[in-house]
Amino acid sequence: MSEPTPRTFAQWTRPPVLPASHFVDTRVYNDHGIFEEEIGRIFERTWLPVCHESELPEPYDFRTAGIAGTKPIVMVRGPDGKIRTFLNICPHRGNTIVRAPSGSLTRAEPSGNPKNMTCMFHGWQFDAMGRCVEIPREEQGYQGRLCKSEVGLRELRTELAHGGFVWVNLDDGCEPLPDFIAGAFDFMARELDTEPLEIFHYQKAIIPTNYKLWHETSREFYHDYMHFHNRATGMLQKGYFDRKYTAFRNGHAATGLTTIAYEAYEGGKERLLTFPGLPKNGWKQLNIFPACTYSLRTSCLRVSVMTPISERETLIEIRGLGLKRDTPEERAERIADHDTIWGPFGRNLHEDLLAVRNQSVAMREGSGSRYLIMAREENGTIHDEIGLRSYFAEWSRRMGRPASDP
Amino acid sequence: MSRQLVEALVYESCLALNAEDWKAFLGMCERDAFRYRIVNYSPEIRREQCWMDRDWKGLKTLLDLLPRHNSDHSPLTRHATVYRVVLDEEAKEADATTLVTIYRTELDGGNSHFESGQTSLFAVGKYEDRIRLDGEGGAKLVRRTVRLDTRQIGMGSHVPF
Repeated sequence: MSEPTPRTFAQWTRPPVLPASHFVDTRVYNDHGIFEEEIGRIFERTWLPVCHESELPEPYDFRTAGIAGTKPIVMVRGPDGKIRTFLNICPHRGNTIVRAPSGSLTRAEPSGNPKNMTCMFHGWQFDAMGRCVEIPREEQGYQGRLCKSEVGLRELRTELAHGGFVWVNLDDGCEPLPDFIAGAFDFMARELDTEPLEIFHYQKAIIPTNYKLWHETSREFYHDYMHFHNRATGMLQKGYFDRKYTAFRNGHAATGLTTIAYEAYEGGKERLLTFPGLPKNGWKQLNIFPACTYSLRTSCLRVSVMTPISERETLIEIRGLGLKRDTPEERAERIADHDTIWGPFGRNLHEDLLAVRNQSVAMREGSGSRYLIMAREENGTIHDEIGLRSYFAEWSRRMGRPASDP
Repeated sequence: MSRQLVEALVYESCLALNAEDWKAFLGMCERDAFRYRIVNYSPEIRREQCWMDRDWKGLKTLLDLLPRHNSDHSPLTRHATVYRVVLDEEAKEADATTLVTIYRTELDGGNSHFESGQTSLFAVGKYEDRIRLDGEGGAKLVRRTVRLDTRQIGMGSHVPF
């Protein structure tokens, strides 16, 4: 072992003496061409959750969002109770059809009938199934050359799954959701799917960072050193370093059950509420490729989803959920537990966001940054960087080249 | 006179928070009764949500532990105007509604070479305060609800608004 020394330019820019699977070239975070390829090869072909069913509980309720960069979508619960997803683009003149973040189609628009989605621009109307049902002065204008049956909305593959989330895929020929998930949710299924969940927290932020950097904070726990809360309640507790990491097919990765000593943080207290099957003070986490994390911390479920905007800008949406049957007192307890760590004023979220923003500053194109290392091997336990390696193995498969030499 | 006391307390609380003089701020709050909350209405999920809920002791603990956390140390400036004071003579208390604008002057949250010293609008909202008047010229906060209009606050904050 040689003496530690600073490095020259030649040494700094040399790839690490590690297997190619154990480091990443930082161009994967700051190259615009790579980003555009990621949208086409990854985000337009994978399943991601876009909202929770409790955000549109009644027939004709809707929720708007975006997917795979800048594609606007609208989720609508039909009169049959089924949630469908459509591109939120009018086929006539390309306008946004539904503008509000959420609401009910039962309320009439200034220029449209209730129960339809009306484009305010020229009054074309679409029902909750995505069918075009009204074209003002259709016959006079088109004389039979174009009819309503030809101009329905573009419907997207949609499934309700894994705790009542609405999963969407832009690829009509994509693999079924269960094949994509590859059993990764099995260890959390009892908690998520025994009874209905309900959203109580929604926040979003556009952070100047690459989406992968945010996702990676959920995939490696070595950074628990950054969080005083996690040092006190986790790292210093017996069994912390035994927590197992499991990599699944298609780039998903899970950290198994651990127990957190919430009372070890001054002012903290033991958490009494849980989810079905989850022991008191238990914590499980699952990362879904390419941009979603389910974190089940005893009394609250946090689901974060990233929408990449550019190689250096990411919309992060964070949802907090409890059980639908919660009493007001139970719900208040879950909310307080959630916000202590994860809310916009929580202890951990701010630290994580600060880190990924500053990573992005340091890795800006031309900054001199070259490689990130993900080489910790600890027999698949908590500080093993197997979660990062499994992510980039899938990334490399879909992008057709290694992340260490993109 | 009472209205002046209420206004003075609200403005002094802003000065204390701006100066990060947590001890002074906590000294303006009723130790046994104070409740501090940050709330907003989310049109995305169509419900009111709470982002912080602390009693006096909980808030003190949060502030005492700040040095142990990694934070964006960019100072916040609260600019407030008391719009309405409703006195409850019988209870010797008052409700005050204050519009508040919060600015952030960058220090170390991002690229400090480029950004430190820049000021930007961070959040807007209201303080909904319940204030106890002791009849001898003293006033203390019994409750402060920060009702935010702003729902995107970027990297968030470790300190109360």
